[in-house]
Parts: sequence; C-alpha cells; structure tokens
Amino acid sequence: MQETYTAYLIETRSVEHTDGQSVLTDSLWRRYSEFELLRNYLLVYYPHIVVPPLPEKRAEFVWHKLSADNMDPDFVERRRIGLENFLLRIASHPILCRDKIFYLFLTQEGNWKETVNETGFQLKADSRLKALNATFRVKNPDKRFTDLKHYSDELQSVISHLLRVRARVADRLYGVYKVHGNYGRVFSEWSAIEKEMGDGLQSAGHHMDVYASSIDDILEDEEHYADQLKEYLFYAEALRAVCRKHELMQYDLEIAAQDLASKKQQCEELATGTVRTFSLKGMTTKLFGQETPEQREARIKVLEEQINEGEQQLKSKNLEGREFVKNAWADIERFKEQKNRDLKEALISYAVMQISMCKKGIQVWTNAKECFSKM
Amino acid sequence: MAGGPPKALPSTGPHSLRDMPHPLAGSSSEEAVGGDSTPSPDLLMARSFGDKDLILPNGGTPAGTSSPASSSSLLNRLQLDDDIDGETRDLFVVVDDPKKHVCTMETYITYRITTKSTRVEFDLPEYSVRRRYQDFDWLRSKLEESQPTHLIPPLPEKFVVKGVVDRFSEEFVETRRKALDKFLKRITDHPVLSFNEYFNIFLTAKDLNIYKKQGIALLTRMGESVKHVTGGYKLRTRPLEFAAIGDYLDTFALKLGTIDRIAQRIIKEEIEYLVELREYGPVYSTWSTLEGELAEPLEGVSACIGNCSTALEELTDDMTEDFLPVLREYILYSDSMKSVLKKRDQVQAEYEAKLEAVALRKEDRPKVPADVEKCQDRMECFNADLKADMERWQNNKRQDFRQLLMGMADKNIQYYEKCLMAWESIIPLLQEKQEAKFPVTAVLS
Repeated sequence: MQETYTAYLIETRSVEHTDGQSVLTDSLWRRYSEFELLRNYLLVYYPHIVVPPLPEKRAEFVWHKLSADNMDPDFVERRRIGLENFLLRIASHPILCRDKIFYLFLTQEGNWKETVNETGFQLKADSRLKALNATFRVKNPDKRFTDLKHYSDELQSVISHLLRVRARVADRLYGVYKVHGNYGRVFSEWSAIEKEMGDGLQSAGHHMDVYASSIDDILEDEEHYADQLKEYLFYAEALRAVCRKHELMQYDLEIAAQDLASKKQQCEELATGTVRTFSLKGMTTKLFGQETPEQREARIKVLEEQINEGEQQLKSKNLEGREFVKNAWADIERFKEQKNRDLKEALISYAVMQISMCKKGIQVWTNAKECFSKM
Repeated sequence: MAGGPPKALPSTGPHSLRDMPHPLAGSSSEEAVGGDSTPSPDLLMARSFGDKDLILPNGGTPAGTSSPASSSSLLNRLQLDDDIDGETRDLFVVVDDPKKHVCTMETYITYRITTKSTRVEFDLPEYSVRRRYQDFDWLRSKLEESQPTHLIPPLPEKFVVKGVVDRFSEEFVETRRKALDKFLKRITDHPVLSFNEYFNIFLTAKDLNIYKKQGIALLTRMGESVKHVTGGYKLRTRPLEFAAIGDYLDTFALKLGTIDRIAQRIIKEEIEYLVELREYGPVYSTWSTLEGELAEPLEGVSACIGNCSTALEELTDDMTEDFLPVLREYILYSDSMKSVLKKRDQVQAEYEAKLEAVALRKEDRPKVPADVEKCQDRMECFNADLKADMERWQNNKRQDFRQLLMGMADKNIQYYEKCLMAWESIIPLLQEKQEAKFPVTAVLS
C-alpha cells in the first residue's frame, strides 16, 4: 500500500567569510517525521535547553474558510515556513547548533535515521517526562522553577484562548466583507433602470466588489501572525518540559538522599543492636531467633558498601543538579529575551496589518462615496 | 385658520423643484452637483427655538440636535439664503421636541410642529401645535382622499414588526421624528399639496380632534370628482409613459427590497463580529498580567481593540437608525405611487368606456356630451398632475439617495478612521524600549 506524504527540501548555505557570499553546500529532502525524530533526540540530550518547537502536525484553530486538510497547499506552505523557522532557531542557538546529529540532519540524507537511533537516545529518555499529569511530591521545590512552570501553564492557556477567539473574529470579519459584495450586483441591476443615477451606482458597485474581495489577502496575512503566536504556544510546552525535568531530578535526588539516610540508620542499628526502625529482618529475627554475629557483620559490610556507593551517587547527583540549574537558567534567560523580542515584533506587525486594512477600507469607501456623489 | 374656499390652484407647471438642500443633510454637505450648500431654513428655525427641557423617556438629548460632526454643515445652514434660483420660500415646518404622555388608558408620544409662514392662508405668522402619530396618519389619508391625482409622501411604519424594538426608546423616537419631519417637509415643498386645507388644519388647529370627529369634508374640486369615479371600468392598455412608470416602480421597489435585506445582513454580521471582538480584546489584557516587559504592549493592544469595538458599535447604530428607515420609506412610497397609477387607469378607463358608448349610439350630433367631456377633463388633469409629480419625485429621489449612500460611505470612512487612529497611536508604544522600566531581576520576564 502506498503512502502519500509531503517532503521538504532543505538547502543549507554556508557563508564564506571572505566575500560574504553564501554558497549552497547541502541539499536534501526530509519529511515531517524526521523533524520529529530530530527534536525528540534533542529533548533527551539537552534537557536543560528550551528546545524550539515544531509547527503543528495537524491544522488547529481553523476558521471556516481555512482548510483543515493537511494536503492543502496553504497549510503545507505555512508548515514549510514553520519547519524552516525550527531549523533556523536551532542553527542560531549557541549550544544546539554544535550538535552532530543536527549537522547530519542537514547533510546526510541516507542513513540519518539509523545514525540517530544508534545513539540509543530512546533508552535514555525518561518515560516519566511523557506522563504529563503524574505528580511527584518534591519536598524542597525550587521556587524559581515552580513559578516558571506556573507561568508556562498560564501562557499556554492564554495563547490558546487568544488563538481560538482570533479564529472566530476572522470568520466574522470574512462574513462582513463578503456580504458587501452583494451590493455590487444589486447596484448594477438598479443602475439599468436609472438615467442620471445609473453611472454613479454602477461604478460604486464595482468598488463594493473590490471591498468584498480584499478580505482574502487581509486574512491570509493575519494567519502569519497566528503562526507566530502558535510558535510560542508550543514554546510554552518546551519551557514546561525543562521545569518538569528539573522537578524529576529534584525528586530523584530527594529519594536517593532518603534512601541513603535510611540505610545509614539501618547500619547504625545493626551496629549498636538497637532496633528503632521496623524491618522485616528484625521481625524474622524475633520469630526465628537472633542471627549470628557473623551474619550481622556480613550485613553491616554490605550496607556500608551501599552507603558508600549511595554517597558517591548523591554527590554526583547534587553536582548534576547544580549544573542543570545553572545551564537551564542561562538558557531560560536567553529564551525570555528572545520571546520578548519576537512577540513585540509580532504585535508590531499585527498593528501594521490592521493599519493597512483600515487604509484600504478608507480608500474603497472614499472611492464609493465619490461615485455616489456623481449620482 | 379654517376660512375661505380653496383657491383655484395651478396644479402643474414648470414648477419643478430645484436642488433644494435636503432637510436631513448629515455631516457631509460636500460641494456637489447642484450646489446643495444652501442651508435648510427649517433647521435654522429649530435652533432659534432653543432646546427646551425635554422629558424624554430615557432622559436623552433633545431630538432637535443633529449628528455631532455637523459643525461645518451648521455653519452652512446659518448662511441663510432665501433666494434659490429666484424662489422664495414662504412656508417652513419643523417637527421636533418629542414628549411622552402617560395617561390611564395609554402612553404615547407627541411631537411639536412649528410652522412659520407669510401665506395668506395662515391667519398668524407662526404656529406651534402638538401632534401624535395617529394625527399624521389622519392627515395622510385625508390628503390621499382630497388629492387623489398627486403622490402623497409615505409615513414611517405604524407598527414595529420585529418586536425587539422599544417604541419609547430614544433611538426609535428620534428615527420616527426624522421621518415625520421629512413627511411634512415633502408636503411643504409640494406646490399643490402645501395649500391643502387638511394640511393647513393639521398645522394650525389647537384641537385636531374636533375636526376629526366632525369629519369635515373639505375636498377639492378634483378630489370630489375623482371620488365619484366608479371602479367598474377596466383599462385595456396603459399608455406607454405610464406603463413605463409602472414598470420602473416595480423594479425600483424590488431593488430597494434587496438592498434593505443586504443592509440588514451586513448589520447582523457586524454585530456578530462585534461580539467576538469584545471577547478578543480582554484576552490580551489577561495575558499582560502574566508578563513583565510585554505587559504594556499587550495592554495597549487590548485597549486598541476596545476602541475599534466601540467604533464598530457606533457604525451599526448609525446604519440601523439612519440608513434602514429611509430605504423602507421609499419602498412604502413606491407602493402608494402604484395605487395612484391604478386610480389613474380607472379614470382613463371610465372615459374611454363612456366615449365608446357615445360612439356606438351613432348620434349625428358631432358635439360630445357634457359628462364625457368632464371625464376627459378629469383624465387629462390626472395625467398632468401625475407626470409633474413623477418628475418632482424623480428629482427628490435622486437627491435623497445621493445623500443616503454618501452618508453610508461616510459612516464607514469614519469607522475606519477611528480604528486607524487607534492602531497608529500604539505603534510607538509597541516599539518603545522597556529596559529602563524593568530591572533585570524580574523573575518571570
């Protein structure tokens, strides 16, 4: 059975330092699933980075005229722009741009999938990260990360709401403009029975047609704005993932510390002979008689080894944790700056779009008014 | 004043109405063909009466004031120019000052009718009376009765079909007042109707009910004669020119009906768009509460959308109050005109039938009997009156629609200008560098 899918051509240009001209160095085809694979790999190997999101797999937040069909050329084009943006984001990231797999994604067409899988990243992936709703009670949460997670949740919620309403607004606006087109026809019919009024009516009708058809381009432009918002909707998810990772690390750390503490206690009890904590061994000892001093020594030895190991692990986990926080926070700061810049730009371009729409409206109605004045 | 027999009036003549300034000229008195920069003296008068305290149902603004953006047209109107192509106006009528009356049996609105005239038919130079809608209705049917060969202007609809409208609301009362004012002005402008007895009584009588009750018949000579035209005659063919008028009116009414439906649909879509906008704007506001550096820009966008929403609401209100009623009026107008055409047909039919009867009698008297002559006379007068009125109507219609459609275009331009201003004003806000305001230690942004 044949499968139909869309593939995207990726052309990489490297800029020659000497003359600033870009030269086409690589050119290959990739499909959406390969982009997904790349991203999943990055998520595992760079858990402290806010990894750029992919454009949506299926069209969401559509308004009636916009197609929800994945094969629709407008959707494909917008997705292409989104995928290009994704790659550009990675390429401009100080850390991610150096990744080998990313480099190969751009340069090695065949075998790339195998290469990625060979890294064994799927095994490294923490399945708990996928379980979005599972809660892990962390005793000493880092307030910065809790606040950030809360922010990312709120951001997701507000941008979704915004996109939903915007789609409805677009729908209604479309209706308003299109109904005006009916004036064109009726003015034309009416002008046929009029003597002096005829010309004015007829030409005004033409302007009403122009008005009605102008909405298509206007709303197409607005989709770009919606796409910019969508990118940050998905970015909020990536931000949340970093917080989640930190939460899990913290949780693991606390569990490990707890475990170590209880082992130390057990050891102490065995050494001193006092039983402060309940243990199965203690119970069986009571039931079946005390163990021999040799047995006890053996157990203490095992525990001491485990304690040593545990302390080493805890140390490295602590180190890992501190590194993570340091690196994550650096990337979060970078991300914040980027977000503020990008969203400001998006708002400005949105305002510019609205201004353009208003000016067009004024133009059309002024023309129509002129025609009416000649009636 | 109710004295003296009706005068023998020239019912036709080259007395076509020139381009008079339209009483309802809105804010756009542009330099247009025909020079309508001359003010309507009626409105000038309205201002000199002063805006007395109004007991309006919702305590709103006095009904006499026109739309805000009309200071330039106000100036225009103050430049009194009585002589328009040599014509001197000697009769001015204004409808204003709606007041609510609450009685045991009913509640209703009355309007003040102010008349100023130098005509001899009026005993006093100035009159001020109060009339309610049913008085206008009475006047109209009396005019139809007494002036059957003329086109009588329409009244605004008696009942409000779409029961959502409150008939005591400011908007409804104002819309009705404008229509009633227009009705009287159209009669005032008519060279024959303005001299009608009933019209005079309507403008001057202290208590109209006396006249209504007594059912005084003050029919004109023509009215009297046409009244007796029996309806039994069927016209074979309508003369070409009247058939053309009939066809024109049919198509005209049809097209207006379509335009009315389109306009209503547009308003409906705009209102639905407005509903969504009112939800859309505040979301930006909510978002801004989450942000640091982006808070002001987002709040700015929210406020901007709010301003656009308000502008849109003003547009839909204007269209509902000023545009739709005029369309409806003209549809009613063309309906009543078609009935006049039919009456004319009957008069002609009677004449032709009687003429035929005489011809069949084969009398060798070449002289035509008196009653056939009377029929012919009747028909010819009717035709002449109707033709003159049609020409007048066509001119006025052209003026009215020019104003109406220009007004519609204007309102849309104003809407876009308001939105443009809102968006242009936030660009600097969006581009502003926020570094100075927010310290680096801000947690979330």
